[in-house]
Amino acid sequence: MSGVNDDADASLVERIRETPQPAMRWLAGALALFVLEAGAVVNAVTGLFGSPVDIPTLLSRDVIPNNGYQTPAGVWEETFLGLSAGQAWAFRVVLIYLYAFIVAWWVWRGYLVFRKHYRHADWTPRDDMVDRLRGHRWGQFGAIIVFMFVVMALFAPALGPTTVERTISDPYSYHVEYYEDGELQNTTVGQANLGSRSQGNPDRNVGPMQYDDFGRFHPFGTIPSGKDMFTFMAAGARVSLFIGLVSIGISGFIAAAFALLTAYYKGLVDLVVVITGDSIMSLPRLLFVMLLSVVLGGSWISSIYNGGFLLALIFAGTGWPFLWRSVRGPAFQVAEQEWIDAAKSFGQKPRVTMQKHMAPYILGYLLVYASMSLGGIIVAVAGLSFLGLGISPPTPEWGRAIDMGQAYVTTSSWHISFIPGVMIVLVVTAFNALGDGIRDAVDPQSEGGDTSTEATAGTGGGA
Amino acid sequence: MSEQIQESVSVATGETLVEINDLKTYYDDGAILDSNPVKAVDGVNFDIKRGETLGLVGESGCGKTTLGRTLIQLEDATDGEVLFDGTDVTELSGTELKNWRRNSQMVFQDPESSLNDRMTVGEIIREPLDVHAWNTPQERRERVRELLDVVGLRPEHYYRYPHQFSGGQRQRIGIARALALEPEFVVLDEPVSALDVSVQAQILNLLEDLQDEFGLTYLFIAHDLSVVRHICDRVAVMYLGHVMELGDSEELFDNPKNPYTHSLLSAIPEPDPTANKERITLRGTPPSPRDPPKGCPFTTRCPMKIRPEKYQNMDADLWVAIEVFREVLRERARAEKTLTEIAKEKLGMDTRFSSIGEIRTELFAELDVPSEVREHIDTAATYVANNEEAKAREYLGEEFGSICDSETPAHHVVSDTGRASTCHRHLAEYDEPDEFTPYTER
Ligand code: SF4
Repeated sequence: MSGVNDDADASLVERIRETPQPAMRWLAGALALFVLEAGAVVNAVTGLFGSPVDIPTLLSRDVIPNNGYQTPAGVWEETFLGLSAGQAWAFRVVLIYLYAFIVAWWVWRGYLVFRKHYRHADWTPRDDMVDRLRGHRWGQFGAIIVFMFVVMALFAPALGPTTVERTISDPYSYHVEYYEDGELQNTTVGQANLGSRSQGNPDRNVGPMQYDDFGRFHPFGTIPSGKDMFTFMAAGARVSLFIGLVSIGISGFIAAAFALLTAYYKGLVDLVVVITGDSIMSLPRLLFVMLLSVVLGGSWISSIYNGGFLLALIFAGTGWPFLWRSVRGPAFQVAEQEWIDAAKSFGQKPRVTMQKHMAPYILGYLLVYASMSLGGIIVAVAGLSFLGLGISPPTPEWGRAIDMGQAYVTTSSWHISFIPGVMIVLVVTAFNALGDGIRDAVDPQSEGGDTSTEATAGTGGGA
Repeated sequence: MSEQIQESVSVATGETLVEINDLKTYYDDGAILDSNPVKAVDGVNFDIKRGETLGLVGESGCGKTTLGRTLIQLEDATDGEVLFDGTDVTELSGTELKNWRRNSQMVFQDPESSLNDRMTVGEIIREPLDVHAWNTPQERRERVRELLDVVGLRPEHYYRYPHQFSGGQRQRIGIARALALEPEFVVLDEPVSALDVSVQAQILNLLEDLQDEFGLTYLFIAHDLSVVRHICDRVAVMYLGHVMELGDSEELFDNPKNPYTHSLLSAIPEPDPTANKERITLRGTPPSPRDPPKGCPFTTRCPMKIRPEKYQNMDADLWVAIEVFREVLRERARAEKTLTEIAKEKLGMDTRFSSIGEIRTELFAELDVPSEVREHIDTAATYVANNEEAKAREYLGEEFGSICDSETPAHHVVSDTGRASTCHRHLAEYDEPDEFTPYTER
């Protein structure tokens, strides 16, 4: 600690300049990880300004293709290293998840490097929260599933055995090659899909982990129209996550802003918000959401993201009072603290006071309830799609998959409803688990969180 | 820092820094229902002299904290003025208010609650400097380190968090923050009451040292009278939103003039057990500040209250019993009737009557009550039984009330040093409080 006094106020850059090794090592790793996916980033960025530039990306379907055909001799052509279509696909999926987990781990390491080498404070209250989360097995389970879900959404185009464009939106513009009667045949994807339909009949069903007659591998089987369900689900994850995040983002912002304002100013402002919030909350939410999505279905907003944006807005508009209710209490509690008076006594601006002295204390709660209601929104979107509202077909959406498979639940095509159903349950549970974890980390006094974290921390001490 | 040392002012120059004129702070917390506001500060007048430490004492709920908060504009005054170097600060707003705030700061009561736990000590002390854009960021950091040193902490505590400090150290951080902008006037709101006794003295010494070094003027709010006596030059005694007595600290403690000060002081355990001072036990609790009594604020509990001419020689116990009887009726008017009580009343089940009977028995049964007095009490009790409580109180007030119930006492100068006391007993026609034996002592 001897050098502390000389340069205690050095900025982060200066501190890194002083002892560059750990930062440089970390940066090198980060750069290497980035290069692997640079192509995708370049593609996405250039895509915003016109025609996307294609640079080979390690984890893309071009580099590790799984679309090929099997010769009568049993040899696979056009797939990655001559692996079978299924193996090639599995290889790519494993690589993508491996990559994602390494990136996550690297970011975490980056935080540890910062904490160890570059942060001024030896200890901050947030360290305790992080440590509590580190010992929270249930929360970690949630975090891992949520992370996998997010990766699925993020890498959807690369994860599916085929793409949405090829098999769902424009199947007659693409072709598949396959061997039949000893000859290489060529047909459109649309035609092939007709031959790979899953309609409950053992003769007409492509179940999970099966090949269809055209040498195409279907990890989750196909949907009744013969399209690949994994591709459908991956794309659907994107839609769900988009709607969930956008609506939670908006409603979380509204909720936080109102909670801070009402707690700071109290009185009339509070009364107005309470009345507004309560009236929204007293409406039967799902009915109201349905009504709105029908009424606004024709407006221009509904054309953005196939109606996904409209749904997100509707959920945000009807959902913020619930979030606001859950952070209002904590906000009022913080507002009673003397440091708020102290800030006022030296003339701090109300906005800064709310931001600096109040917001950090409600953010944790907001995160907890946001993560818990995110699951609810995903279910609700699925429910709306199930009823034929919301996302316009043929855009993939999990609820629509359940709906499509509903008639076949008791038949050999059970997978169509079953897999999305299980995935929704899993994702919703995971978001709740994550919420639990965050709650116990932010507020260890709440509902026996302390003892359980301690117990799990004891067993997983080395982690 | 050298500059400040030169500036250092010796204690109490006699020049007025803060002048408080008829200050009132009312709270209207139940704004929707049209209820009486809480009259936390109800017409207060006094001056604070440059460089002095003025103590403000009283029971909890007497309005002393609200008064302190109003002086530094944490509460809006309802009426009256606070002249700070001649400027009425209750009228300030916007930039003027912000600039003035540099001059007056506050040290809060609870060091657990006064520091934002998510900020480092450095950030906490720096915040006032940042708000007022004091010099360059580099100089601000230096100033914070200097302040840490001044309050007895170490410069390397800059990047620690409040969690890592004890209560006493946290209070030092709070003091450093209050001093950051070099204020002239600091309100100390029970700055040591939340601390361990062993630490209290250290903090008090620190505050005294800082006052000498920077020529600070303190308003020291406390309910621990021994602390006040130790640290304050002058003391103001507050009761129910009013200042009852104000004067030189030693003098006031040794020779209280106001009946309320008498009662308050006699509640302190005497450090010297051989000193045979009479102890006055205050009965009851202060009335609600939503509905203060007419006349003298202390009238409902005063053990030296002036009696009407015709009861001058009444037995003291009987007099106290009558006073208690009146207070009970007052209290009952304040307490809301429950629904069952209302229902029972309507059904003629007479809950009020039976209870008034009990009260009367309890108060007067063992006393020798002259028939004339008994008649008055009976009349009042009958009113109560008929649900005419207001009338009952009015009746008793007319019969047993005095100047204490009807007229607000004025400030009387009661010593050569200019001590002021608010009590009718200082009028020529009545016995002085310190020459009068409280009824409860007879
Ligand atoms: S004015 Fe009357 S009631 Fe008030 S303190 Fe003096 S004697 Fe007591």
